[in-house]
Amino acid sequence: MSLNTLILLSMAFPLLACVSNLIHGENRPNLRDGITFLCAVASFSCVVAILVINGNASTQPFTLWEVLPGLSLAFNLEPLGLLFALIASGLWCVTHLYAVGYMRGNNEKNHARFYAAFSFSIASTLAIAYSSNLFSLFVFYEVLTIATYSLVAHKGTEEAKQGARTYLGILMGASIALLLVAVVWTWVLAGTMDFVPGGILAGKVDPTLTAILLALFAFGIGKAALMPFHRWLPAAMVAPTPVSALLHAVAVVKAGVFSILKVGVYIFGVDFLSTTGASQWLMWLAAFSILAASIVAMTKDNLKARLAYSTVSQLSYITLGMALATSMGVVGGGLHIAMHAFGKITLFMCAGAIYVATHKTNISQMNGLAKAMPVTYGAFLIGALSIIGLPPLGGSWSKWQLMVGAADTGQIIMIGVLMLSSLLNIVYLLGPIAKGFYMSDKDNDALAANGISEAPFWCVAPPVLTALGCIFLFFYAGDIITFIEPIAGGSN
Amino acid sequence: MFDVFPPYLVFFIGALVLPLIPNDARRGLVSLVIPIICAYQIWELPHGLHAQLGFSGWELTLLRVDKLSVIFGLVFSLAAFLSLLYAWHVRDTIQQAAALGYAGSAIGAVFAGDLLTLFIFWEGTAITSVFLIWARRTQGAFATGMRYLVIQVASGVLLLGGVALLYRETGSIEFNAMTLGSAATWAIFLAFGIKCAFPLLHNWLQDAYPAATVTGTVILSSFTTKLAVYALARGFPGTEILIYIGAVMTLFPIFYAVIENDLRRVLAYSLNNQLGFMVVGVGIGTDLALNGTAAHAFAHILYKSLLFMSVGAVLFRTGTAKGSELGGLYKTMPLTMIFCVIGAASISAFPLFSGFVTKSLILSDAAHEGYYIVWGILLFASAGVFHHSGIKIPYFAFFAHDSGKRPKEAPTHMLLAMGITAFLCIAIGVYPDPLYALLPYEVSYVPYTTTHVVTQLQLLFFSALAFTVLMRTGIYPPELKSVNLDTDWTYRKFLPTFIERISTSIANFWMVGGWILQRKLNRIVKRLHSSYGPEGRMASVWPTGAMVLWIAVILGATMVVNFV
Amino acid sequence: MEPRKTDPNKLPWLGRKLLWLDNMRNVDRIVYSLYALCAALFLADFFYKKKTYLDLEDVPGFYAIYGFIMCAALVVCARGMRTFLMRDESYYAPNDVEAEEYPEDQLEREEADV
Repeated sequence: MSLNTLILLSMAFPLLACVSNLIHGENRPNLRDGITFLCAVASFSCVVAILVINGNASTQPFTLWEVLPGLSLAFNLEPLGLLFALIASGLWCVTHLYAVGYMRGNNEKNHARFYAAFSFSIASTLAIAYSSNLFSLFVFYEVLTIATYSLVAHKGTEEAKQGARTYLGILMGASIALLLVAVVWTWVLAGTMDFVPGGILAGKVDPTLTAILLALFAFGIGKAALMPFHRWLPAAMVAPTPVSALLHAVAVVKAGVFSILKVGVYIFGVDFLSTTGASQWLMWLAAFSILAASIVAMTKDNLKARLAYSTVSQLSYITLGMALATSMGVVGGGLHIAMHAFGKITLFMCAGAIYVATHKTNISQMNGLAKAMPVTYGAFLIGALSIIGLPPLGGSWSKWQLMVGAADTGQIIMIGVLMLSSLLNIVYLLGPIAKGFYMSDKDNDALAANGISEAPFWCVAPPVLTALGCIFLFFYAGDIITFIEPIAGGSN
Repeated sequence: MFDVFPPYLVFFIGALVLPLIPNDARRGLVSLVIPIICAYQIWELPHGLHAQLGFSGWELTLLRVDKLSVIFGLVFSLAAFLSLLYAWHVRDTIQQAAALGYAGSAIGAVFAGDLLTLFIFWEGTAITSVFLIWARRTQGAFATGMRYLVIQVASGVLLLGGVALLYRETGSIEFNAMTLGSAATWAIFLAFGIKCAFPLLHNWLQDAYPAATVTGTVILSSFTTKLAVYALARGFPGTEILIYIGAVMTLFPIFYAVIENDLRRVLAYSLNNQLGFMVVGVGIGTDLALNGTAAHAFAHILYKSLLFMSVGAVLFRTGTAKGSELGGLYKTMPLTMIFCVIGAASISAFPLFSGFVTKSLILSDAAHEGYYIVWGILLFASAGVFHHSGIKIPYFAFFAHDSGKRPKEAPTHMLLAMGITAFLCIAIGVYPDPLYALLPYEVSYVPYTTTHVVTQLQLLFFSALAFTVLMRTGIYPPELKSVNLDTDWTYRKFLPTFIERISTSIANFWMVGGWILQRKLNRIVKRLHSSYGPEGRMASVWPTGAMVLWIAVILGATMVVNFV
Repeated sequence: MEPRKTDPNKLPWLGRKLLWLDNMRNVDRIVYSLYALCAALFLADFFYKKKTYLDLEDVPGFYAIYGFIMCAALVVCARGMRTFLMRDESYYAPNDVEAEEYPEDQLEREEADV
């Protein structure tokens, strides 16, 4: 099988899952969910096969559909995209198992519609990962927004609809008003929209305009949740937890920062950014976003809302990595995509497991729960430590890499920001855990006495798996670094 | 995988395996065997750099074996054994695992040959140890644990940031002696300083140690700060500023110790004071001084554990460790009392006890090298430490006025742990040669000379005389239920109040601003209404739709102008 | 707990022996022997050859005087510090210092989760 077939197959399987869900509807749920899982595994296997065959080489784009001359939907492989595809499809397998446990354990409605939209979102995420030019990226970016819209609104309550409106409003609004302009402008300036290592804009724009163009991209890609365009992410937390876990901690938000990294590396080019200094302001904004979102997170009592703000903060690490405009920073940003994905999906799945078992959403009600749910809390602890960036967990490497990147450019203040962020993370992530382990609460003691214990197996096993992944990543971070290093293109 | 197996990994394996073992004596036994295995392996380690591996693109050295790291590794294993024996009764799996992980991290950090490995274990000590505080299960312990963890991790990230900068400067992450100068070295220095409880950075120590569980405090007291002393001895030997930092460190805690009520906090202050001696030793940086630092750290870990163990036993039996609530316990807890007195004699450096043969190495070198004022301060601090740790602790816990409490003697395993530790304290004091043989450099020091013994006895007994006189005349401050303000006031009282003030005034500002804005908007709308509204002049000429549009446009523009 | 009369038979062996200290006259004896010991130590300085680094050390009884004066000064200073450093136990937070319940009946335990 050729690589291009594999690429198409890896996207075809999620679509197949989508169709199968629509056909089966609410009849024969086991068959339906089984097929979806098989599709997930098949899709992941395709990506792994691509990895094995291709390694981290960049391939020639192949065109799927030429809309207009020079304007085509085309895919290719390059390290960053392949890494993203691996993470998205791999975690989909885990999340699907979790989703089955969650949706059933929680008696949610409209399973088929939910899984269909979920699979479709994954297909579009993979398409984003493989996009070989700005136009494809833009198209699939919008498709992803629409696909996830129905997931956010899934519960059908007034609150869910309101959240979904905010979601769609901000993401669509920003992408059409800013991103589209940026894409067209880039096309006009450079005469091409292809992602080319080293960038396509060098020497074609003057520095002031570069900064403005970068701003259009950075804000236009609302999925990166750069402040002040972050409101949609907390709003999307009304969705069922599997959506928050995979899409709003991994696929969708990572599609955002992935796009930012891609634009930085393949449109502007790291060297171009560092010589013009056009990304300086973005670095400061990302730093602000890191700290401000953490501070907001501290004030949230709703666990999912707290995690959402934590995501806003963590995404800005990746934006910061790009904005540092140094190879170490870009690699650190890419690495953080993987590290944060595993950490945050663990946290969300644990939050969901707690919800399924106890129907509690607020941290202040979770005192002493760890006695009843030690496994969930253990996984939560590991995920939290990884997000904070403590060894022996994956997150410490990306933080280190970003720090070295900041040191590379002499940005001591950025090192300070990363340090401070770790401390803020501790306060808002470990607080609930400590209280869960060692504080007591009359209600929860009563629950424990009544035999309330862990959530169903399929709600607990997946977070344990991803938590183990966090540990695993600590020991294999070096491989990921060597894997994505080519994107920085030896610009030191 | 490794050319030499890093001994401390035994602790981590133990921490992982522990939950699988039945939670009774069997688990206790396994946890006691682990430090023994580790100590044996450390003893057998060949000197040099070992277990080097490429890790995530960095060359790490997991084992750097020389005399300095071996002595710290050995005493950490010993301390782990004693505290685990003392904690035999603990049945909380998290505490058991955390204690093992904590000891393992501390030993791992001691053997780290590069700064990244050091960082990994540095943070390891922070995250594992905090559970020993949280396990107290009180609201106060939770908040304290949070503060403790934030400060400890702050030290860790400072270290990481410093290493990143240092790598940029020198292209190497090896952990060798550095000179202060660049931002990188200062950051690393500060990171060490936080864990070492430098003056003004010290308060986490007095905050956290009295808040931990009975056994937790014993475990905590051994590792973190001595690890920092080791790191300073390795990274900044002979850095002159350390002499003055150390001198201040020996000085100010003794004042606090005199007026502090919580006996475990008194011990935390005196711990801080003892660290000062070691820091001075590192600052002087000669072979004799570094020997003194290592030897004093060794002896200190033992007698400090012993003191914390005895006060912990009192807390375990009476539910309180406050001087104001205790007294007269010698009748029912005589063995604990005797062990406490042995610990007190050791920390006070009585002849024949461990402090005597180790502290004098540092003191005499300070005089040797001509730091006379520092020498005077250290001498004062030695007298002071006898005053508060040597007399105050045993006196207020076991004698003083009778509190009427008649608790049982401490449990057997605690007595056993205290007994072994007490024996070691005396053994080192009587026969220091084996300890001297472990020291990093050649020792030619004779502690037992007439001059040294007599002058030391004079110093101590006249301190005791001062205590007696002040006690009998009623000048000595009584133990009162209270807290004393320390640097933690800045982040526990001042900052929260300050932030609250700021946020209230911002909120007020927004409210007033919003009110003014609203009034302005209302007026504009009214004016628009009067000219464009149904009764206005323009109404006759303009279609309604256009009017609405105009209002919307103007309103929008006003909003934009007002907000941006 | 009310101070209560101690039944010597309930005390451990060592505790019974130490009841000797309960007598105030014996405490006085200890104090007087401390005075005597101090005097003896002070005088000891005149009977051997001191090995010193500093001139100051050669002053007879230097260590004794230094120890006594500094310790007295330490206590007086610390006492003075209380006037502006001492606060109520609940100064920072209501249950800041030791808030756990400590049931009396558990103090006899041999094993417990602490």
